[in-house]
Amino acid sequence: MAYVTPFTYRQGQSLLHLLDVRCKFFMICLISMSMLSAHLSACFFYFLILLFFFNKAGLNIFATLNSIKYFILLLFFIFIARALTVKGDILFSFYGMSITEQGLNEGILVAFRFFLVMLTGLLFSITTKPSSVKSAVQWFFKPIPFVPEKRVAVMISLSLGFMPVILKQAKEISDAQKARCSDLQKNPVKRITRLVLPLLKKTFLSADSLVLAMESRCYNDDRTDPEFLPSGKEIPFLIGSFIISLSLACL
Amino acid sequence: MQKLIIDINALCHTFSDGYLGIKNVSLSISKGEFVILAGKNGSGKTTFLRHLNGLLLPDSGVIFVNGHDVSKHLIQTRKTVGMVFQDADTQIVGDTVFDEAAFGLENLKVKRSKINEKVTQVLEDLNLFHLKNRSPSTLSGGEKRKLAIAGILVMNPEVIVFDEPFSNLDYPGTIQVLSTIINLNRSGHTIIIATHDVETIISEATRIIIMEEGLVKEDGKPDSLIKYLESYGIKEPCSSKLGLGLQPWLT
Repeated sequence: MAYVTPFTYRQGQSLLHLLDVRCKFFMICLISMSMLSAHLSACFFYFLILLFFFNKAGLNIFATLNSIKYFILLLFFIFIARALTVKGDILFSFYGMSITEQGLNEGILVAFRFFLVMLTGLLFSITTKPSSVKSAVQWFFKPIPFVPEKRVAVMISLSLGFMPVILKQAKEISDAQKARCSDLQKNPVKRITRLVLPLLKKTFLSADSLVLAMESRCYNDDRTDPEFLPSGKEIPFLIGSFIISLSLACL
Repeated sequence: MQKLIIDINALCHTFSDGYLGIKNVSLSISKGEFVILAGKNGSGKTTFLRHLNGLLLPDSGVIFVNGHDVSKHLIQTRKTVGMVFQDADTQIVGDTVFDEAAFGLENLKVKRSKINEKVTQVLEDLNLFHLKNRSPSTLSGGEKRKLAIAGILVMNPEVIVFDEPFSNLDYPGTIQVLSTIINLNRSGHTIIIATHDVETIISEATRIIIMEEGLVKEDGKPDSLIKYLESYGIKEPCSSKLGLGLQPWLT
């Protein structure tokens, strides 16, 4: 069975699942950019909207948060770094380091913004088939000269499609090593090296096999163009995302 | 006398390290034949098969598929000779069953409506249509192998080449794939199967070719060669050892 990542597409019939992928791409870009200047209240407002769509897509927000717990840990480090480095009114000091009120506020804001961008991306990838992402990339790159849009699109699609295979292989290698007491090796560098080298070898071999399989089915750049199936709700969604972006930027 | 579909004259292939993979192989295969290419690991079976699809080109000698020189008509050859690889996981390109089956036709720039029609028909024929929106990585081993066959069948090949089609399959998976292969042969496809374990398939074959060290050592009817298999490192089927001759594996 495949290794399912938090970003793996899950089948569904929600509004977001059915929305044209080009519209979703545009919305995600617009909202992510306006997030750069969003204040805490606007972020909270957007978080509520995200919760609504998570619910509509049939996703459990707690399970989702659990699956990205390491990312949340990273956000915590970003928060700490901000709190310690931004100058301002000192709240308390220890061992020569001081946490400021401004640092604390900015740390919360930056971490929250990152968190929301992450959740938006997660919602996008869970509700969008990688083949649709490929089609959208091809569509967006088409007007740009000197960019081989079809090749770029296939490369993106293969990278997304190969992730579960690579993760499954990593798990197999890790288990095989654990079965031979690799846990006793405490040096993290040695442990990672022992995992990464065979994984790279396997990945390259798999990539070789994939190239042969694609070639045997006449792969070339000049392929049938992708098909887009708009749901008819794209205009209201675009207007909605424009209003949300304005609110995030101005609130 | 059936029409020749593959004609090979003095085929030789040398790898980049100087190892002679195929040594002066000459043979021909008629339309509708069911051929087993048997031999132990490293005997040159896979190298030989890859020449039939134009994935490898001969260093000397010539291969004709439907009267066309493979080296000069690669696309035509790949449309005529479909290849199912040993590891279905690394052969899969699409992110749903439907997309995977459509890949070959997209490469041939077939119209989208035709692709949808053909893929639907093939998936229905192979009893995979109910899985059309599933991610291929979540399928069972037998279903993945059938999907790989579907990806080939949409391109209307006359010859289907299988490299170790039963490796890593459980009993139900083997039954699924075996009955699919038998049905394909009955519907007029020429079948060539490379394997080191002939037990499952030998009773269905019309011909067996035994390879060793890149040479064709034996070529004839299965019942006339069955007693020589073990001298080439291939296990003789149980039924033959028990004096029951060739018995079908599928009951």
